[in-house]
Amino acid sequence: MRQEFYKTLLSPLWLVVLALAVVVPPLLPSYYLHIVILSLVYVALASAWNIVGGMAGQISLAHSLFIGTGAMLSSALLLKLGINMWLGLVISALVSGAMGAIIAWIDFRFQLGHLSFVLITLAFAEMGTVIVEGWEFLGGASGLLLPRDTGNFWAFQFGGGIGAFWAMLVLAIASILINVAVLNAPLGYYLRTIRDNENAARAIGVNILRYKIAAMVISAMLSSVIGTAYVRYLTFADPYLLVSPIIIIEIVLFATVGGLGRAYGPAFGALLLVPLGEILRGKLGGTLPGLHYFIYGVVVIAVILMSPRGLLPLFENWWARLRSRPVATKQG
Amino acid sequence: MAEFLQALAQGVLIGSTYGLLALGMGLVYGVSGVVNFSHGDFISLGMFLCLALYSALALDPYVSLIVTVPLMTVLGGLVYWYLLRPMVGHQFLMVVQLTLGLSLVLQNGILMVFGGQSVRTPSVVESKLWILGEVVVRVPHVIAFVVSFAMAIGLYIMLRSTDFGRSIRAVHQNAHAAALMGIDVSRVQTLTFALGIGILAIAAALLLPGTPIQPSQGLRYTVITLIVVALGGMTNFVGIMLGGLIIGLSEAYGTIYLSDTLGMLLPYGIFVLIMLFRPQGLTWSSSR
Repeated sequence: MRQEFYKTLLSPLWLVVLALAVVVPPLLPSYYLHIVILSLVYVALASAWNIVGGMAGQISLAHSLFIGTGAMLSSALLLKLGINMWLGLVISALVSGAMGAIIAWIDFRFQLGHLSFVLITLAFAEMGTVIVEGWEFLGGASGLLLPRDTGNFWAFQFGGGIGAFWAMLVLAIASILINVAVLNAPLGYYLRTIRDNENAARAIGVNILRYKIAAMVISAMLSSVIGTAYVRYLTFADPYLLVSPIIIIEIVLFATVGGLGRAYGPAFGALLLVPLGEILRGKLGGTLPGLHYFIYGVVVIAVILMSPRGLLPLFENWWARLRSRPVATKQG
Repeated sequence: MAEFLQALAQGVLIGSTYGLLALGMGLVYGVSGVVNFSHGDFISLGMFLCLALYSALALDPYVSLIVTVPLMTVLGGLVYWYLLRPMVGHQFLMVVQLTLGLSLVLQNGILMVFGGQSVRTPSVVESKLWILGEVVVRVPHVIAFVVSFAMAIGLYIMLRSTDFGRSIRAVHQNAHAAALMGIDVSRVQTLTFALGIGILAIAAALLLPGTPIQPSQGLRYTVITLIVVALGGMTNFVGIMLGGLIIGLSEAYGTIYLSDTLGMLLPYGIFVLIMLFRPQGLTWSSSR
């Protein structure tokens, strides 16, 4: 399994993508750099969500809580209590991890079915929005404005633009690597067993509670860290963007379009849709607000109807036919 | 005491409409197992259609039902036939994701046509009030209450004693057996979905007078509807109407006796607790 992990790590395709990601963006004008950074944020978030939503097959809509905690709590700690944002990042991640563990425990303790899990996590997400909007400490409905990014690394500042790009690139790669690692570790096999047949998993002695909590905590802490980095890039902690269920619905849709449960599927979906949406918004956002979401919706519906397992499997088949030899598929 | 009665009246009146919203979703779930996450956006669509008819022809929301109900019913039928029917037999979660996609399409389609600002649609009864002792009720709420219950009773009778109603119940109980008895299952499912969306057109007009609307409201309505349906045990008719009343009352009392934030949290809190501690009230696994 470890071998598999290193093999993926050193595959030529991965290295080429990595090299391009390192070389090209610094040369881009700032508008396109912004799109690249945004894509990386969603690549990271969708991959983080994939550990729970794809591998364990639990459509969690509560991830907006973790992203929101990472963003709003760390900002509030900095602005209201003067706590360094690095420490705020750790505190937020721990809080998110604890919330994730509680949600996973509730899921296990009350034996929620798939539908109940979706509904309960949606209710939690809505409650999170209401709480943040009504709690002045977290910025209330008006949000929080972070101090200007002067590039002071020790204050969790990366100097905007290109600095934020490096930070996001590191996070996105870390998020994908964690996916690959989990997928190839025993945890990944247990999660897929639980997803495909929970009773069978229980019968052969898989400790369901432990692995559900592990998946949720990893995913929650990762989402929280990404949330903190995202808000530092945005500078303005906007509850309607960062805590609303919309952000998690977007992530679910990116992951679905790319291919659920695969290491690269969600990243692929985000890389495809975020630039598309952003460019549409840039070109037509003034005259037709909402067009990019409209297109996301249409793409998602089309993909689900044509290839319910996502686009990545389609491309893999196509690639395999092109090279006319069977490709080693990473079945998710 | 006046406050208490006022909240009681408000909660019951609004709650009955929540119940009506949820009946449509419950019917659809019972017959085809689809949980429609774009439900609230269809409500939005109904409301904005009323607004469009008012702007173009100065029609009162209650009058524009003549147009919106057939339109939405047909739309619902098309959506089920072309988008949801092909998903039958696929994993249940794919349908959830598809309706989430549909929700984005509807919400942003509305946004592109009508813009994002909050608007009101006037109606002749909008500002009329009835004063009963210490309690003041708004006439639109009374109309909503009466129509909702009439619709609920009408649906109940339809399900009990018409051929269509019987075929709905047959598919609900056992789709396979129903098919063997010569019932065209996908036809029944499509018509039920169309019916559910048609009911939404009515509910939208009932909720509209005096309520500011904006395209992004859909998700809130979806969540409220899901909560009510889940409270009512997904397919239980009386349970769903009761669930609507519970949510309406908890909203009304929550905003009066608790702070704004706590008041808005109350329905969600009640929902989570009931889901966790009374799962036997939720019949979604045993009935199918």
